Amino acid sequence: MKQIRWSNFSLASKIVIEVSVIAGILFAMNVGFYMRINRSMQMVDKVYMTNADITQLAQAFEEVQDNVYRYLKVKSSQALNDYYQSEGNYRELLGKLNGDNISDSGKILEKNIRKMSETYLEYTAQTVAAKRGRNVEKYKKSYDSATELYYYIQSAVDELNKQQFKVNSSTYASLRRVMNYLEVSNTVFMIVVVAGGVFLLIFSTRDMFRPLTNMSETAALVGQGNFNMKMPDTDAQDELGVVTRAFNTMVESLGIYMEKTKASMEKEQQMMERELLMENHLKEAQLKYLQSQINPHFLFNSLNAGAQLAMMEDAEKTGIFLEKMADFFRYNVKKGEEDATLEEELDAVDNYIYILNVRFAGDIHFTKEVDAEVENVRVPSMILQPVVENAVNHGIRDIDWEGHIDLKVCRQEELLEISIRDNGKGMTQSQIEKVLSGQAGADTQQSDSTGIGMNNVINRLELYYAQEGLMNIYSEGEGKGTEVVITVPLCKES
Amino acid sequence: MKKKTMLALGAAMAVVMLLLYITGDLYYKSLMEETFRESQDNHRYTYKFDMIVENQESAFWQEVYKSARKNAAKNDVLLELKGAGWKTDYDKSDFMNMSIASKPDGIILEYNGEPGLKEKIDEAADQGIPVVTVMNDAGRSRRQSFIGVSEYQLGTAYGEQVVRYMDENTENILILVNREIDDMSRSHLYTQIMNAVTRNVKREQRIDVRMENLLPAGSFETEEAISDLFQKSEEIPDILICMDEETTECVRQSVLNFNLAGKVKIIGYYISEDILSAVEKGIISVTCNVDTEQLGRYSVEALTDYLKEGRSSSYYSVDLSFVGKDDVDRIRREAIANETDQVE
Repeated sequence: MKQIRWSNFSLASKIVIEVSVIAGILFAMNVGFYMRINRSMQMVDKVYMTNADITQLAQAFEEVQDNVYRYLKVKSSQALNDYYQSEGNYRELLGKLNGDNISDSGKILEKNIRKMSETYLEYTAQTVAAKRGRNVEKYKKSYDSATELYYYIQSAVDELNKQQFKVNSSTYASLRRVMNYLEVSNTVFMIVVVAGGVFLLIFSTRDMFRPLTNMSETAALVGQGNFNMKMPDTDAQDELGVVTRAFNTMVESLGIYMEKTKASMEKEQQMMERELLMENHLKEAQLKYLQSQINPHFLFNSLNAGAQLAMMEDAEKTGIFLEKMADFFRYNVKKGEEDATLEEELDAVDNYIYILNVRFAGDIHFTKEVDAEVENVRVPSMILQPVVENAVNHGIRDIDWEGHIDLKVCRQEELLEISIRDNGKGMTQSQIEKVLSGQAGADTQQSDSTGIGMNNVINRLELYYAQEGLMNIYSEGEGKGTEVVITVPLCKES
Repeated sequence: MKKKTMLALGAAMAVVMLLLYITGDLYYKSLMEETFRESQDNHRYTYKFDMIVENQESAFWQEVYKSARKNAAKNDVLLELKGAGWKTDYDKSDFMNMSIASKPDGIILEYNGEPGLKEKIDEAADQGIPVVTVMNDAGRSRRQSFIGVSEYQLGTAYGEQVVRYMDENTENILILVNREIDDMSRSHLYTQIMNAVTRNVKREQRIDVRMENLLPAGSFETEEAISDLFQKSEEIPDILICMDEETTECVRQSVLNFNLAGKVKIIGYYISEDILSAVEKGIISVTCNVDTEQLGRYSVEALTDYLKEGRSSSYYSVDLSFVGKDDVDRIRREAIANETDQVE
C-alpha cells in the first residue's frame, strides 16, 4: 500500500484539510459548550419544579377542604365524588413528599406536612362518614379539628414554599455564577482556539508556500546569470514539488546551453584574432617590401617597356630577362595579400633564380622536382621565394665550390612536404634554433634581400594552418649544406 | 518554520487547551455541585422529637437546642425545633397541635403555664406521645419528666445572691418572673428568696420583697412593663431579680435608658453576649447561668429512656451557677473552647 504523506497532498487539499480541522475543533467546542449550558438549564428547570410541585400540592389540598365543605353544605353525591377524587389526588401528591426523619428543615417540613395531612384526612373521612350517618355533633367536631389542621398545614406548606424559594434564590445566584463562568470560559476558549487556529494556519500556509517564495528568489538570481543556483531537492508530489523539479531541470539545461555558446564564441574569437594577426604579418611583409621597392608598378611597367624595347632591337635574352623581372615583381605585389597556388609560388622561385643567375652569371644550379598532382594546392603566398633567397644569401654565396639548390615538393599521404636543400655553408644547431624561434630576424635586413625574412614565413605558416612546427631546418654542420623542410596539411586544396 | 516545530507547537497548544478545558470543567462541576448539593446530612433517623419553646431565637434556647440535637443524633433521633424561622404568631398550643398531628416520637416542651397547654400535654399522652417539660414544670399534667431547676432550688440560689447585694439602705426588692405561678406568695421561688432576706435583715431595717409576673402581658409587653416600672421613680427597686433571659435584657436596656446604672442592683438570668458585657461593665451585678448543655442532654435522655424502657425519672436536676464580673473572662474562654471542640 502506498504511504500517505502530507507532502503528497495537493495545495488545495492541504488548505481544505487544515481549515476543516480548525472548523472541527470549533464545532466540537461549541457542542461541549452547548451541552454544558443545556445541563445548567435543566438544573434551573429542576430548581423551579420544586416550587411548582408545592403549589400543585397546595391546590390539591385546598380542593379537599373545599369539597368537604361543599358536601357538608349540600350533601350532594357530586360533592362526595369530588371529595373522594380530590382526596385520592392529594394522597397521591403526598406520596411524593419525604416521609423519613432527615435532618434538613425542608425535609422535616415535608414529613410534617405528610403526617399532618394524613391526620387531617382521617378527620375529613370521619367528618364525611359522620355526615352520611347524620351524626351532627360528631361531624361538626371532626370538621373543626380538620379545619384547625387545615390552617396549620397551609402555613406549613407556605413555610415550605418560602424555604424552597429561599433555597432556589440562592441556587439561582449560584446558577448565575455558573452562567457567568460559562460565558467567560467559552469566550476565552473561543479566543484561544481562534487565535491558535489562525496562528497555525498562517504558519502552515507560509510553510506550504515557502518553496514558491524560495523559487522566486532563486529565479531572480538565475535571471542575473547565476546558473549554479538550484532549489533544494524535494520528493513532494504536490504542485510545488513538480514545479520545483521542473525549475531545477530548466536551470541545469540553461547552464549547459550557456557553456556551449560561450565555448563556440571563444573559438570564433580566437579565429578572428588569428586572422587579424595574419593580416598584420602580411601587412608588415608588404610594408617592408614597399620600403625596399619604390613604386614597383612604375618599376615593373618600366621593365616591361624595357623588354619590348629589347625585343624591337632583337636583344632576345635581355627581353626575356626584363620580362621575368617584371613577372617576379608583379607577383610579389599582387600576391602580397592572399594565398596562391603552389604552381604560382614555384614560378616566382623560378623567376627569382633566373634573375640571380643572370646577375651572377649562372653560379646557382637550381633543380626542382614537383609532383604534378599537388601543383594546384593552395599555400600562403611568398613562402618559397624567401626560403630560396635565404639559401642563396646564407648558403651558397661566397663558397669556393659550385652552389646547388634542390627544391622538392612531394605528397606524403595527407601532408605536403616541401624541401629546399642547398650545399652551402651549413648551420650550427644554435643557429637553427635561433632561426626557428624567430630571434634571427635582426640580421635579415640586407640590402640585397627581397625583404621577407624566415621569421615572417614561419609566422604566416603557423597562422594560416593554425599549427606549429611546420618548418624544420636540418644541417649536418659547417660546410655541409642546409635543408629547410616545410610540411603542411593538404586540406587547403582548391 | 520547521515541520517538527509546527507539530510541537500544535501539540503544545492542544495540551494547553486540554488542561484549560479539564480545569475549567472541574471548576464548573464543583460550581454545579455546590449549587445543587443535596442536604449534607442525608442520614435517616429512626426517631423524631419535637422541641417547642417560646422564643426559638433566643441564645439560651439555641444553646439548649444545640446540646439536645447533639445528644439526639447520638441516639438516632432527629430533633426539630418547632417554628424555628417561622414568622407566625402561633403559640405553644398551636405548635403542640401540629406536633400531635404529625405524630413525633416525643415532645420537649418549655412549659410556661399558657392556658390549655396542660390539656395538650394530656392529649399527646393519649396518643402515646411522651412529653417532657423543661425549665418550668407542668404540675398535675401527664408529662413524662421535668428537666430543669426546681423553684425551690432556684429560689434558694437567688436568695443567696440577694443577701450578698443587700446593705443597710436596701428597701425594695423586686422579682420579675415570666411564668405561670398559681399563687405567687406561696411559690417556692418567692418564699426561698423571702426567707433568705428575712434571715439576714438587720433588726430595724424593713425590706419590701415583691414579685411581679410579666406573663399576662404577652409578647412585646415585657419591655413596656419594665419601662413603666422605671418611669415611676418611687417604685424603682434597690435590687431587681430577673428570672428569664428576655426580661434581663429588657432591664439592662431600661437601666441604660433611664441612666440608673449602678443605682439598681440587678441579678440577671442567663449569659448571652449582651448580658455578659453588661456584667463586665457592672450594669448587671450578677447573672444566673443554667447549664444549657445539661438541659438539652437530659431532655433527650428522658425521652429516649422512655422510648427504650417505657419509663424515665420524673425529675432531672440541672446545675445552676452565678456569674459575676470576675467570671466573665473565664466564661468567654470556655465558650470559645467549646466552639473549637465542636468544630473539631
